[in-house]
Amino acid sequence: MESNTIIKLKDVNFYYGQSRALTDISMTFGKNKVTALIGPSGCGKSTLLRLLNRMNDLIDGTRVEGEILFEEKNIYAPDVDPVEIRRKIGMVFQKPNPFPKTIYNNIAYGPKLTGVNAGDLDTLVEQSLKQSVLWDEVKDVLNKSAMNLSGGQQQRLCIARALAMKPDVLLMDEPTSALDPISTAKIEELIEELKKDYTIIIVTHNMQQAARISDETAFFYIGNLIEYNKTEKIFTKPEVKQTEDYITGRFG
Amino acid sequence: MNRQTKEIIIKYIFLLFSLVSVVVLGLIVFSLFREGLPIFGKVSVKDFLFGMEWYPTYDPPSFGIFPLIVGSLVVTLLATLIAVPLGVMAAIYISEIAPQAIKETLKSVIELLAGLPSVVLGFFGMVIIAPWMQETFDLPTGLNIVNASVILAIMAIPTISSISEDALYAVPREFKEASYALGATKFETIINVILPAAISGISTAVMLGMARAIGETMVVLMVAGGAAAIPESLFDSVRPMPASIAAEMGETPYRSAHYSSLFAIGIVLFCLTLAFNLIADYVSHKFRQIGSGTL
Repeated sequence: MESNTIIKLKDVNFYYGQSRALTDISMTFGKNKVTALIGPSGCGKSTLLRLLNRMNDLIDGTRVEGEILFEEKNIYAPDVDPVEIRRKIGMVFQKPNPFPKTIYNNIAYGPKLTGVNAGDLDTLVEQSLKQSVLWDEVKDVLNKSAMNLSGGQQQRLCIARALAMKPDVLLMDEPTSALDPISTAKIEELIEELKKDYTIIIVTHNMQQAARISDETAFFYIGNLIEYNKTEKIFTKPEVKQTEDYITGRFG
Repeated sequence: MNRQTKEIIIKYIFLLFSLVSVVVLGLIVFSLFREGLPIFGKVSVKDFLFGMEWYPTYDPPSFGIFPLIVGSLVVTLLATLIAVPLGVMAAIYISEIAPQAIKETLKSVIELLAGLPSVVLGFFGMVIIAPWMQETFDLPTGLNIVNASVILAIMAIPTISSISEDALYAVPREFKEASYALGATKFETIINVILPAAISGISTAVMLGMARAIGETMVVLMVAGGAAAIPESLFDSVRPMPASIAAEMGETPYRSAHYSSLFAIGIVLFCLTLAFNLIADYVSHKFRQIGSGTL
């Protein structure tokens, strides 16, 4: 697994002001794997996810210690531009958040910033929407507002929007928690499909979801990484008592 | 008295209070029209609005307010051109860029600016800007369109800035995060996501700022120069409508033609500010966001 590592955390501590949200996290994320981060609310799993593309930079008064290596380079090194990192590590949020623009412009937003020329944009938009299995539903309404789509469609649009940047890694922060079961199933199928080309790290509250879609699972509790292993192992024979208590629903 | 009766009484008391402002407004508008309309028995509406000569005390008098309307519109437009970029950019800086400490200071300074009495600003224009302008540009008078517009702009900036700021704050955080997560810089996010999402609020701010400027009396009375003629350059004096009313009302005989013509100017002003408010209202509904997501 070591040779296939794409992201590696070394002794990472994270603080919001004075309070420590993550404690001595060391872990590696495998390339083209789906890794699920689970744990009760406030355990730091979303914080960890947002550390990986430096989204926590946007919050005042936060501080990171330790190293996060992406393709063997520390993304928190002073010479690293967070904008570059975010172009390579895409993100999908908990609540579908398309821009109040047309469907086409939602997808084209990121690529336009990097200077993709207008001719290639059409192809890129089509390709991204096909990848997120939304093309057939929206190909006739590309110039309509994305706000008219259903929640599930909006979330797939957000995935397409992230894919249009051709990232290496896709971070997903509880991408289905605001969706109905049918939309959730579609997104899960999509994740299955995407992992051929992308590394996916997903935070989820839904343990069945973690069990269904992930290869590896990490269990967090109050800012600590409690157990990290193959998903099968975590859900059948967890090594730590706390993990077992959580996945069997004794707390959380 | 049981609980239900109390509720009903309270309901009507509040209704009464809210009706007071409506009734007062109605009465003011009524008296404005009652005093102003008689002038149209002497001059036609067309001659009044588009007449080129405002000589209300001559014999025979002439009541053409077109130069006054032009004067009002010119100073308002120029003031808007100055105030909008400054106000909107200040709002962007305060809401999106400034660190907390600077943000607080700037906000309170701008609010203080809103609290300055207009007569003080007028003094400033009269005593400081006018002589300086006259000497520097070698003008016959420093009391002119540019001077009045600058002072009006200073008055409109707090309105525009604080309403725009509220509109910018109201842009959902999710939009900003989505933009940053796609590798947009702060500047790109402001231009492409935050400003378009706040455009309805910003347009409202601009319209209200203009309404404030067009109705402002003291400043234009003191620094616009008072010449009731169509200006030929930006350094000419003008006599905006509110200045005319304020300057002449004290000298007119009660219910004379001049008196009612001043009220009629008041009607024109009222219609203009009403139009600005209606446009502001329409614009803010037209561009209203459809919320983020329909879950």
